[in-house]
Amino acid sequence: MTDFLDLILEPLQEVFHAIRQFLPNLLAMLVILIIGILVARVLRAILVRFLTAIKFDSWSDRMGVTTLMRKSDLWAKPSLALGAILYWIMIIIALAMGMSALKIQAVDNLVSQFFMYLPRAFSAIMILLVGYMLTGFVSRAVLIAAVNSGYHYAKLLAEAIRLLLTVLVLAMVLEQLQVAPGIVLAAFSIIFGGIVLALAISFGVGGIDAAKRMIERETGEKRTEEPKDDVEHI
Amino acid sequence: MADFYQTGIITTLHKLGKPSIERLEAELRDFSRNRPIALVLPSLYSEFEGPAMPGIVKELAKVNYLKEVILVLDKASEKEFQRVREFMSPISADVRIIHNDGKRITEIYETLARNGLETGHRGKGRSAWLAYGYVLARGLSDVIALHDCDIVNYNREMLARLCYPVASPTLDYVFCKGFYSRVTNKMHGRVTRLLVTPFVRSIQQLIGPHGFLLFLDSFRYPLSGEFSMTTDMARVNRIPWDWGLEVGSLAEVYRNYSPRRICQVDIAETYEHKHQELSPDDAEKGLMRMTIDICKSIFRTLASEGVVFSDGFFKSLSVAYLRCAEDTIMKYEADAAINGLAFDRHEEAKAVEAFTRAIMQASKAFMENPMGTPLIPNWNRVMSAIPGILDMLKKAVDMDNKSE
Repeated sequence: MTDFLDLILEPLQEVFHAIRQFLPNLLAMLVILIIGILVARVLRAILVRFLTAIKFDSWSDRMGVTTLMRKSDLWAKPSLALGAILYWIMIIIALAMGMSALKIQAVDNLVSQFFMYLPRAFSAIMILLVGYMLTGFVSRAVLIAAVNSGYHYAKLLAEAIRLLLTVLVLAMVLEQLQVAPGIVLAAFSIIFGGIVLALAISFGVGGIDAAKRMIERETGEKRTEEPKDDVEHI
Repeated sequence: MADFYQTGIITTLHKLGKPSIERLEAELRDFSRNRPIALVLPSLYSEFEGPAMPGIVKELAKVNYLKEVILVLDKASEKEFQRVREFMSPISADVRIIHNDGKRITEIYETLARNGLETGHRGKGRSAWLAYGYVLARGLSDVIALHDCDIVNYNREMLARLCYPVASPTLDYVFCKGFYSRVTNKMHGRVTRLLVTPFVRSIQQLIGPHGFLLFLDSFRYPLSGEFSMTTDMARVNRIPWDWGLEVGSLAEVYRNYSPRRICQVDIAETYEHKHQELSPDDAEKGLMRMTIDICKSIFRTLASEGVVFSDGFFKSLSVAYLRCAEDTIMKYEADAAINGLAFDRHEEAKAVEAFTRAIMQASKAFMENPMGTPLIPNWNRVMSAIPGILDMLKKAVDMDNKSE
């Protein structure tokens, strides 16, 4: 009978013992989480105030960052959006730290992977931002140059350049994030190569006559430029 | 209008005989292939609950030459906005509703404000300005027509006549203002009859002929809210957001274009809409507020043209105006008598006295703050300050019109 009771009580005791060992960890996690939320809120408030003071929203409006947000149907102020991003990053970090306080091996691995991934995510965001600005700048420059040169399809050309650069930037971002890098690289090579090939064929085939005329004109001019030989040879 | 007299320095297009609406609309359909037309309707939700808007929508449903209809809805909740979308569905043209109180448009106003672009208080001026921005953002139309949404006796001929001069590629007008009489069993339109015309002529009496005053005096109904213009004009003109909207807009038209390219067109025998109270004792309400804003707008425009004002000038002006307005009352009394209209001379005289007080208040306000210009910046300046603003506006309106 005693053995039978032991059979029942032993697992229960083990569970109780595990819970007793686990409870301080859980408490530590909750404390870390609460402190993390508080710190996140304070940091968000400080960041938003700082950004408001330096007129970040106005700068974003002029630089096209707000336009980018609106295109994605995000209607918060840029400073508040940045505040929210910081807040959620802090919450995720606090959550990760809290979870590592649980001292569970699988969770520890996940947390370390997450922290290893952070620099890549940061680089991807930077590539996206700089790429967006550069794309806008180049597209605008092409538009102005094409309009000044009197091209009828200036806007189309500028939009095509914008599209190409956007594809390039997105490929770089996905590659940086290590999201199926092989597929991204292959897809990008196919798309980009395809576009360039299509352009080459269309210009090549469509411009045969023009190229022929140019070459003929060039060689004709050269022929007329050759000094005449006064002596006639038999 | 029975006569064919050409008034002043702009062109007047009369209604002679019985022009066929079918012919007008057929020609407009042709014109709109090369010069697409947008109709802008600044409205309040309350106007959809009154008698005017159902009639307007019914008539617009028969119009087939409009490229787009942009309705700016003010003072409406989300539910009311959805109701208006449903209400406007019979119109065959592409209808877009700008929800002025929606979160996206509110954010657009905040974006403008934080970049130092003051759009003033809500009202017809601000609504019209925003609608022009949306028309520019879409880039689909070359002509913009605008009319109020409280016209009780609206018919599609009004719109056709309003659009025709600017839409026609052979006439070369850039701005066309509608005119009409406002008569029921008596004459309405006191501010135009008893204030603007005598006021403009009194100033001319004091300072002599002046281009802007001649221009203003050429309009048969300078305060009418109905006009059409090219989209280029919408890009360069600034718009007042106060009651000086009509006069201030004419001042901008005068500043930016030659009077040879401006016309006015007879759009209706008579025109009925809501009538404003005079409220002679309250300068912040009704026609008194309107009068003060109109006078300030004229003073400001003249000052910007180099006219020098002084206390003595304003004293003489109020006396000269009073005399001129009293003479005008006598003219209208005779006009009413021959047409069998009721005419309350005492009420008219009381209105003139109130207008005289308003002119003096406007003079004082102008002397205290001659730079107090309530003009919304033109879209060229706004685009220069915030390069992506038109994209943002387009996105905001398109998303509002997409969501359920």
